[in-house]
Amino acid sequence: MILSRRTFLGAAATGLAGAVSAVVAAPLGAQDGKPTMSGPMDEGAYKPVTRPARAGAAPSMTDDARDALEHRIHCQCGCTLDVYTCRTTDFTCPVSPSMHRDIAQLVAGGYSADEIIQAFQGAYGDKVLMAPPRVGFNWAGYTTPFVVLAVGAVGVAVLMGRWRRRPAPAGLAAPVAAPVGLAATPDELRRLADAVRRDDPE
Amino acid sequence: MILIGELSLWVALLVAAWATIVSFAGGALKRADLVASGERAVYATWGFVVLAAAGLWTALITHDFSLRYVASFTSANLPFVYTLTAFWAGQAGSMLFWCLILTTYSAIAVFTNRTQNRALMPYVAGTLGAITLFFLATMCFGQNPFERLDWIPPDGRGMNPQLQNPGMAIHPPNLYLGYVATAVPFAFAIAALITRKLDGEWLAAVRRWALVSWFFLTVGITLGMWWAYVELGWGGYWMWDPVENASLLPWLTGTAFLHSIMIQEKRGMLRKWNVTLVVSTFLLAILGTFITRSGVISSVHSFAQSPVGNWFAGLLIACVLATSYLVATRLQDLQAHAELESMVSREAAFLYNNLLLVGIAFSVLWGTLFPILSEAVRGTKITVGPPFFNAVNIPLGLLLLALTGVGPLIAWRRASVSNLRRQFAVPLFGGVATLVLLLALGMRQPEAVLAYALSGFVATTILQEFYKGVGARRRMHGEAAPVALVRLVARNRRRYGGYIVHAGVVILFCAFAGLAFKRENDVTLKAGESFETKDPYGHTWRFVSQGLSVDTKLNRRIVAVALKPTRDGRPMPLIESEKRQYFDSRQSDTFEPATAVGIQEGLQQDVYVVLAGVLADETAEVRVTFNPLVWWVWFGGMTMAIGGLIVMWPQAGRRRESGYAAVMEPAAVGTP
Repeated sequence: MILSRRTFLGAAATGLAGAVSAVVAAPLGAQDGKPTMSGPMDEGAYKPVTRPARAGAAPSMTDDARDALEHRIHCQCGCTLDVYTCRTTDFTCPVSPSMHRDIAQLVAGGYSADEIIQAFQGAYGDKVLMAPPRVGFNWAGYTTPFVVLAVGAVGVAVLMGRWRRRPAPAGLAAPVAAPVGLAATPDELRRLADAVRRDDPE
Repeated sequence: MILIGELSLWVALLVAAWATIVSFAGGALKRADLVASGERAVYATWGFVVLAAAGLWTALITHDFSLRYVASFTSANLPFVYTLTAFWAGQAGSMLFWCLILTTYSAIAVFTNRTQNRALMPYVAGTLGAITLFFLATMCFGQNPFERLDWIPPDGRGMNPQLQNPGMAIHPPNLYLGYVATAVPFAFAIAALITRKLDGEWLAAVRRWALVSWFFLTVGITLGMWWAYVELGWGGYWMWDPVENASLLPWLTGTAFLHSIMIQEKRGMLRKWNVTLVVSTFLLAILGTFITRSGVISSVHSFAQSPVGNWFAGLLIACVLATSYLVATRLQDLQAHAELESMVSREAAFLYNNLLLVGIAFSVLWGTLFPILSEAVRGTKITVGPPFFNAVNIPLGLLLLALTGVGPLIAWRRASVSNLRRQFAVPLFGGVATLVLLLALGMRQPEAVLAYALSGFVATTILQEFYKGVGARRRMHGEAAPVALVRLVARNRRRYGGYIVHAGVVILFCAFAGLAFKRENDVTLKAGESFETKDPYGHTWRFVSQGLSVDTKLNRRIVAVALKPTRDGRPMPLIESEKRQYFDSRQSDTFEPATAVGIQEGLQQDVYVVLAGVLADETAEVRVTFNPLVWWVWFGGMTMAIGGLIVMWPQAGRRRESGYAAVMEPAAVGTP
């Protein structure tokens, strides 16, 4: 299908308007201020996440499991790291040690990993997780790449099927383009054919 | 010199505008004099940009703090090498660096095509001129590296400590060399679309440029991983940061193009697809630049927020519109007679490979932009970090690894059952044997086991190809095995260089899989205290703190902790990690304290020590991480780069070679 110039320009103008408005509306994060590993530090980002310890509570997990849990929780200082990595890397960050203390207290209070995650989500929202929870619209995030790949695979299969059925028209019987830069003599080409036959017997 | 540099920037702007206008006009009006003038203007632009670059370097070296750029990114006591590399440490300087590379590439492209591709060259020169014009205009009217301050500060602010690292001195130039090289194939694609000369001619012209871009991106990405690993101190080398992703995107589509170009060369197919890939690769390079410079997405590598991001958004939109229009109005010319004899053929394998590479590129782009989409749709901020990217990309990456082994085993046009059986028998055995061995050894991490089993399969494929090639040469020429191996590679660079790239991919996947066995320890130690732990291989390590020390070196004050390790009771070299507070020539602190990681490198694993903090009673907070197989990441990346270098190295002896080499040559068109 060939688009007319008018159709194309009409569609382009609509797209341009949308794209420009999207760019203008896009939030531009400030880059000034006290830096973290990835941007400005937001020292006021910390929100206490506390719960009373359960009666007779024992720690709900080992230190290793707690560290693994901290890897799932995003430090809110403005960096792109999880709580464990930030607090053991950037010793100027005041946020990750506080978040770590909250996690440690909840673990000591007998709360499970899921309960701790929910408590943090309640305080900070979904952004506190290193990956979006697999619910609602977020499923689009997880599935779209595979859907696109599947659609692409179907497209390739259809295309290949069409290519297989299509007979070569007269005059285009030998569509093989010579490899660039190859200047082979007829004798060399004959030997090539022999070599291919030896290598790939039908 | 500084004034000359500043003036040169403005003159370059005018000359680039001239190059753009007369080149396009010369092409449209078929006026040889205008075309020649346009090409001369390309050379002249390069000359003026070189002068501008020399001006900025002069300002940096002479510490001319009257320039905002020099005062913002250097200080009088900054080591000389970093004073030089400050050229690309900030927004305006890095734009000039982009421009310097772009005009150099443009001049080379015009010079090397002075007797060939003449129908395309007016538009190639015009397109490259237009891109250069954009960068020069962005600098002259947006971020001018020669902007002067109202007063002259006694010293500059200094360079961000994270940039004072050898990796940062060479990683950005390599990435820039890779990014900018995508502009030349893009210019040829635009020229081919405008002139409707969409046969193989333009592809032959861009193949080497695509390889140059791929090579530098590979080196740049690998060096970037190394820099992140040794400098940032978080213990890894890839965190799926938006800017890391931005460098990966053009690499993925560029790799897809280097495979699909072979189908057009051999079979005349995929014309539209190849144009799309070339254009997409350039647009993704621009998108990456937009992401880095706009501040739209927070990233570890971002430049300061500036209006330059909007300029790049404009360029991106303009390029999308222009190329969409050209492609849409030339669909008829892009039609090719495509005939596929079998779905089990090398061509089909390359199609699957392209599908996966582009699919991975899409998933990386999707994950990078999904936070913006989520906020726009739901009004909710989310974080898309490594767990998301790993969940989506590990399965796709493993599929791609499998295809890396399958592709070379399938014949062009049609693979017979007997051919498949013969070709696949040994590699499949290699893969299954690896799988059984690992399971017998007790490895139970499914993704790691699969990655190693597939690596076994692909490695055996590569070895089989080399074995067959060497065997054939030995039979026909009676050469000794080492001689046959060297000549095999030297005379079939495209094929066997490609296999070396594939070997690098296998090494990388094996190294990535090592992350599944990473072990971290978070401890506090006073002088003389120790702690004991086991590494992933089961060895017992004991670390004894030698206490904290304080020192001053060059432009920094240092607090360091030293750990004396033993492995299974055997003493190992001392490991030291530092916190550095940088200061300027007036002893005033600059920037926040930075970490210097202590790394004991090994082929099996790295022992990675970070001084995370110091408590009041001189207790050191230390993270000790065992990172298996990290050395192999650098080795794998460099193996890929060497393979790429072999592929793109000119085949000087090709025409002299006769007989057998000529016979092998067509079959050699099998890998990038």
